[in-house]
Amino acid sequence: MPELIVIATSHHTAPVAVRETLALAPEQALALLRGIHADRAYGEALVLSTCNRTEFYVVPLPDGPRDLRADLLARLGRAKDTAPPDPDPAIFTRREDREAVRHLFRVAASLESQIVGESEILGQVKDAYRLAVEARTTAFLLNRLLHRALGVGKRVRTETALEEGSAGVPQAAVELAEHIFAGLAAKTVLLVGAGRTAESSARTLLARGAGRLIVANRTLERARQLARDLGQAERPCGEAGAAEEEDSPLPSSPFGLRRTSPQRDRSTPEGAKAATEAVGLDALPGAVARADLVITSTGATEPVLTREALGQVLSRRTRPIMIVDIAVPRDAEPDLGRLESVYLYDLDDLDCLVQRNLERRRREIPKAEAIVEDEVRQFECWLASRQVAPTIRLLKRRLRSIQRRQIEQYGSRFTGTDQDELEAFSEAMCKRVMHHPIALLKHLATDGATSERLATVDLVRRLFDLDALEEDDETDEEDPTSRARQ
Amino acid sequence: MPALLAVGGALLPLAYLALAIDYGATFFLRRRTGGLTPPLFAVVVLHLGYLVLRGLEAGHAPVTGTPEVLSVLALATAVVYAWVEAASGDRRTGVFVLLLAFLFQYAASFLTALNAGSPPAGPHAGGLWGALHVLSALVAYTALAFAGVYGALYLAARRDLRRHRFGVLFDRLPPLETLGPMAWHALLTGFAAMTLAIAVTPLMFGEGGGEFSAKIVSKIVTGSVAWGVCASAVLGRWLGRWHHVRTSAVAVVGFLLVMALLAVSGALS
Repeated sequence: MPELIVIATSHHTAPVAVRETLALAPEQALALLRGIHADRAYGEALVLSTCNRTEFYVVPLPDGPRDLRADLLARLGRAKDTAPPDPDPAIFTRREDREAVRHLFRVAASLESQIVGESEILGQVKDAYRLAVEARTTAFLLNRLLHRALGVGKRVRTETALEEGSAGVPQAAVELAEHIFAGLAAKTVLLVGAGRTAESSARTLLARGAGRLIVANRTLERARQLARDLGQAERPCGEAGAAEEEDSPLPSSPFGLRRTSPQRDRSTPEGAKAATEAVGLDALPGAVARADLVITSTGATEPVLTREALGQVLSRRTRPIMIVDIAVPRDAEPDLGRLESVYLYDLDDLDCLVQRNLERRRREIPKAEAIVEDEVRQFECWLASRQVAPTIRLLKRRLRSIQRRQIEQYGSRFTGTDQDELEAFSEAMCKRVMHHPIALLKHLATDGATSERLATVDLVRRLFDLDALEEDDETDEEDPTSRARQ
Repeated sequence: MPALLAVGGALLPLAYLALAIDYGATFFLRRRTGGLTPPLFAVVVLHLGYLVLRGLEAGHAPVTGTPEVLSVLALATAVVYAWVEAASGDRRTGVFVLLLAFLFQYAASFLTALNAGSPPAGPHAGGLWGALHVLSALVAYTALAFAGVYGALYLAARRDLRRHRFGVLFDRLPPLETLGPMAWHALLTGFAAMTLAIAVTPLMFGEGGGEFSAKIVSKIVTGSVAWGVCASAVLGRWLGRWHHVRTSAVAVVGFLLVMALLAVSGALS
């Protein structure tokens, strides 16, 4: 019987029309797991459900459901209060043991994500684990597995460049801004028009701590509405309290230095809201004069940001201004980019940056896969060490070595047949001591649940310090001279 | 002592080169570490020890003669950079500055080896005004070197950003708003220090710290040019509201000009 099984569907096997019917809200996933816990249908279980994947990780029981796929999908249907999905093996793939471990590690490393290297999946795995812990459906195996999976995700992110660079237009706009500005805290973002990508870019900039937002639109009411919506967005790291400076954003010091990492520049508490303002397009020159970043995406057929209208405002300016033109046809005259303080980017420029970053991520995939394989191997070694047969062997060795040591210590006090009696007595004693633990382990090996067996083996190994004995063996194997010395 | 100094003179350029390679790895391989790195601190201490020994051997502060001045410049560059790195926690620009320190020290060690056995040249900076003059001039030249390096980096990064080239500089340099002020504040420091150096020059001559010669004239010309460069950038920024791009361009041109004049000054001595 396999120890770990994953039934999974993702963007690799199912179109979005199917995936959206399978996605579970956290409370639905929790209800599903609580049902599993109440039924005692599986030894352990965890559900990972995101917009791109729905996966069940289960440790089966000997007397558990025969058709896991059908059972789990029926539970999913009940949790969502819909008809259970068709358990099509082409959509819901099944992986066991080593393959299941590898799959989870690849998911945590974001190697299975639609955009390889995206950062959200690790948090989603963590959330899924939290729900399973809350529903009390994790035990020895899944606890260990999930801790390792989260470790793999972190390792891949620190040891490779898989997560570096932006992989979408909004993120690319932020990446460019971070190469021009030392921090976004005191920066004012001007959003011209109400295109979805521009709105998303503004949202991302605000999430990264941009201090102020001005929304300019042909219809003032629409601008006000959008400003309200964006102003409500929660910011993970607000920086709105930082003082605005005219030319140099850096405080005075002989070399004008400060720690410029935005992550370290947290001057307002989490959840701070950005200051927002709405204006009509007639007030655009004044708004541009106050802005540091302009994101424009109107449906206009003629340029909205022209040199004629803005040239005077921008040529006097000594602070840099970044204009991101996401509109097609373009909203900003290319001529604006010739002004000294203007950094002008259009959709092609952003796409060029995104493609470059994606290519770089693709080159990092082999490194990430090597880390995953290394971790799978380590996990397998650990799992193999928790099997019954090697544990019984080590337990016998441990007790015999104790027996030998005691005979060496006290044997000199006995002579002749007394010494033989001592050895016979100590051996019988050892066998008696070992009898029940070994019988229990053998029983668990044939009839027990995986989780219980692994937990018991782990306890025995810790009680008798068998891992140390195994490590000594490995050292001896690596160094034959030490064995010769012994 | 002479043997120890010879070993130190040979070792220091190698130490700076090793540092530059290490910082180059940070820049090109995108390794990131925060704070002052122990090897940089070790090289600064080694260099300081070397200069103290030189001073003990000569019987006066080691600021006479071109090799000594170049060596002090290398040390000043490393010390100022160490301070910059400790303050900013960013070692990405270290390779450029430490290459400069390597060049200064390499030239110093080379000239020292070349002039081995000959008596030290130049006036003794024994008096208070003389020492103040030399020290402030060295700080000014170091600051100008910094302004030149950071100005060049600013201009290169800015050019890439405006031409939508997302290459090595885009990936590895700090943002423009950090680089520009770095160059500008270095220029300010250079301006203040060179103003002081020029202001105390008559006092230095008054206490007999120097006499007019071709070498002194070339030094006065070099110092005046350095001051002029810094002053034009400072006034341009304050009065003409110059962009960082202009102050950076002036810093780069000024730095190259002063380097060339220093070389001429060295050749004359």
